[in-house]
Amino acid sequence: MRRFAWREYVGRAVRLWRGSLQLRTVALTLLLSGLAVTAIGGYVVTSVRANLFDQYRAQVVAEAGRAIQAAQDEFTQADEAGLVDDLERVQSDAFDAIRAIVSSDPLVAMLRAPDQVGQPPVPDQASSAFSEASMVSALLRGAIAAAEPDSVTWQSIAIPADDSTRPGIIAGSLLQLPQGQSYELFLVYDLQAVQQTLDFVQGALALALVALVLLIGAVSYLVVRLVIGPVRVAAEVSEKLAEGQLEERLPEEGEDELSTLARSFNRMADSLQRQLGELEDLSRVQQRFVSDVSHELRTPLTTIRLAGDVLYDQRDTFPPATARTAELLHAQTERFETLLADLLEMSRYDAGAVTLELEPTNLVRLVEDAIEAMRPLAEEKQTDIRLLAPGGYFEADLDARRIRRVLQNLLGNAIDHGEAEPIDVYVDSDQHAVAIAVRDYGIGMEAADLDHVFDRFWRADPSRQRSTGGTGLGLAISLEDATVHGGVLEVWSQPGQGSCFRLTLPRRRGDELRGSPLGLPPDAEEAS
Amino acid sequence: MFSCSPPTLVRTMNARILVVDDDTAISEMIGIVLRAEGYEPSFAADGTQALEAFRTEIPDLVLLDLMLPGIDGIEVCAAMRAESGVPIIMLTAKGDTADVVRGLESGADDYVVKPFNPKELVARIRTRLRPISATESETVAIGDLMIDVAGHEVRRGGAKIGLTPLEFQLLLALAAKPQQVFTREMLLEQVWGYHYKADTRLVNVHVQRLRAKVEHDPDNPRIVTTVRGVGYRAGAVT
Repeated sequence: MRRFAWREYVGRAVRLWRGSLQLRTVALTLLLSGLAVTAIGGYVVTSVRANLFDQYRAQVVAEAGRAIQAAQDEFTQADEAGLVDDLERVQSDAFDAIRAIVSSDPLVAMLRAPDQVGQPPVPDQASSAFSEASMVSALLRGAIAAAEPDSVTWQSIAIPADDSTRPGIIAGSLLQLPQGQSYELFLVYDLQAVQQTLDFVQGALALALVALVLLIGAVSYLVVRLVIGPVRVAAEVSEKLAEGQLEERLPEEGEDELSTLARSFNRMADSLQRQLGELEDLSRVQQRFVSDVSHELRTPLTTIRLAGDVLYDQRDTFPPATARTAELLHAQTERFETLLADLLEMSRYDAGAVTLELEPTNLVRLVEDAIEAMRPLAEEKQTDIRLLAPGGYFEADLDARRIRRVLQNLLGNAIDHGEAEPIDVYVDSDQHAVAIAVRDYGIGMEAADLDHVFDRFWRADPSRQRSTGGTGLGLAISLEDATVHGGVLEVWSQPGQGSCFRLTLPRRRGDELRGSPLGLPPDAEEAS
Repeated sequence: MFSCSPPTLVRTMNARILVVDDDTAISEMIGIVLRAEGYEPSFAADGTQALEAFRTEIPDLVLLDLMLPGIDGIEVCAAMRAESGVPIIMLTAKGDTADVVRGLESGADDYVVKPFNPKELVARIRTRLRPISATESETVAIGDLMIDVAGHEVRRGGAKIGLTPLEFQLLLALAAKPQQVFTREMLLEQVWGYHYKADTRLVNVHVQRLRAKVEHDPDNPRIVTTVRGVGYRAGAVT
């Protein structure tokens, strides 16, 4: 559960990142300026630290030099005055001299040099906080021993404090006592005050830099807003245009690039609106034409039909030639009528003048009806029609008249091309779609023919006799009927193995098709 | 208000039929077909003539083309229906559904789409002129209405309700079998005489028209009740 929520957050963040140019720009600006500021800050802090330290060290080393010199002077004077018996007093004077010179309060230690032999003339003296072990390194000792007389050697050290350590400098030199004895004199300076100054400078600098980065972030946010704002408006307006609100326009203000964009965008929208308007007019004209042709052609055809039928009904009383003429007239009038109806239907589709009359329909019942209607033709051709309906009993929103027409058309084709083999009609449904498949086991079609089956006036084999009197528009209209439902009509065929037409429709208007409940061709084992 | 024509006036063999169509060829041809079936046709070529002939000739049935010069066929239909319950069959050139519904709503009983064949037309006319089939009892009750089968009258209390013969037949069909739920297809067969799939809107529109006349509140029907997904049935006798 946790994991899932975590993933969801990541997903949301990624979407936000991808979706917002503003977020990306501000974030990148913050990141880059942060990097730059960190580099600059680092440089400043390093150089300030080096400078401060160098200055203080120079001061400390100079002071230590003077102090050591003063101590050395005390011993030298004592030696010259021959006061060699009371060297401890001289040592005490030397310490006083050192204290008189030093400004701060360093730790002072006077230790006998490690290489000396014999009785020490004076004891080691050191401030109580002085620790030889932790402050005097072997390296320092070596350097002092090797240094010129009267020169000062120094080293940075860590002074142990209560729990932590404090930065410090130890400066040292050799003292020459009478009778050739050597002592090391050390002064240990605490750098805590310098460190505090440095910390303060660092803190102030860090604060200033963070503020700077935030400021840059805020500025870039504002700038991006200025640019993105109009782009967003443009995106919203385009969206509305795309949805068909053709009156939407962008505000055109100023002379800058964005207003140029707005002007060209509006020009584009104007032209779009104009062209769509023209198309609509054209479509209206065509619809009007279809309606007029419908009336104008059907009126004389009605008369012809009535006249033909009256003659046809009396054909028994005519001489044979006239009787045959009446029969031909009757049959061809019917054919003409079907052709006209199909043509009108097709042009209605072309004009986009088709409206669906959806009603909840039980698909299996509809298919049963359609099969029943085709029964006489099937019997004439000695064709058996079998219904296999594992599903499709729940109601789907369909225009029953159109779907029945599609079915009768598919069945008619199957009977025509089925070679009197049985025809299987499958009906199935799933959550989203309903499907009907009409499978025949007749002559089938070549792959090249499959590309044309839905073409207008295309015929699979012109030499074949047609019993259903098709107009050549049947499948083209069926395809339109399927499409206007938001469905698909597909075909499968193999020469010698027959054909299968599969109609898949969404159960509810506007649902998107994700697949078909039936295979193409359907598996007979599964369905039964 | 008008009343249903008494059965004695319906002359099956010599019924007068008014043919309203602006195309003279088709009128003449329909006339030939009708005469061959023993009907007596008269003709009108536009709306004004049609209404005139309707009032003077008093036809037993009207065949009305919807597309007429002058007064529109729909208006003619509404005007005729306002005056009488005479059966009106529309001749429509359009398969367009909106026109059919408008025609039915303005009072037409049935429609035939051009081009039609003579048998189809004659079958439609015969059904509309057919005398109402007698039931076993003289009167049938439905809701708070009383149907006088022989007298072709529907009464609520003492007040007579004027129904067209088609509406009367529709109400009687439901009332005669109060237990039964009628699908639209059953009503199409019984009242309109269709033995094959026909336009169920015929039933829908006429049930609406019937309800407007017989229900206290047509939005909340108690006499002709809808059985969702199936069809209609008669409301309980009160």
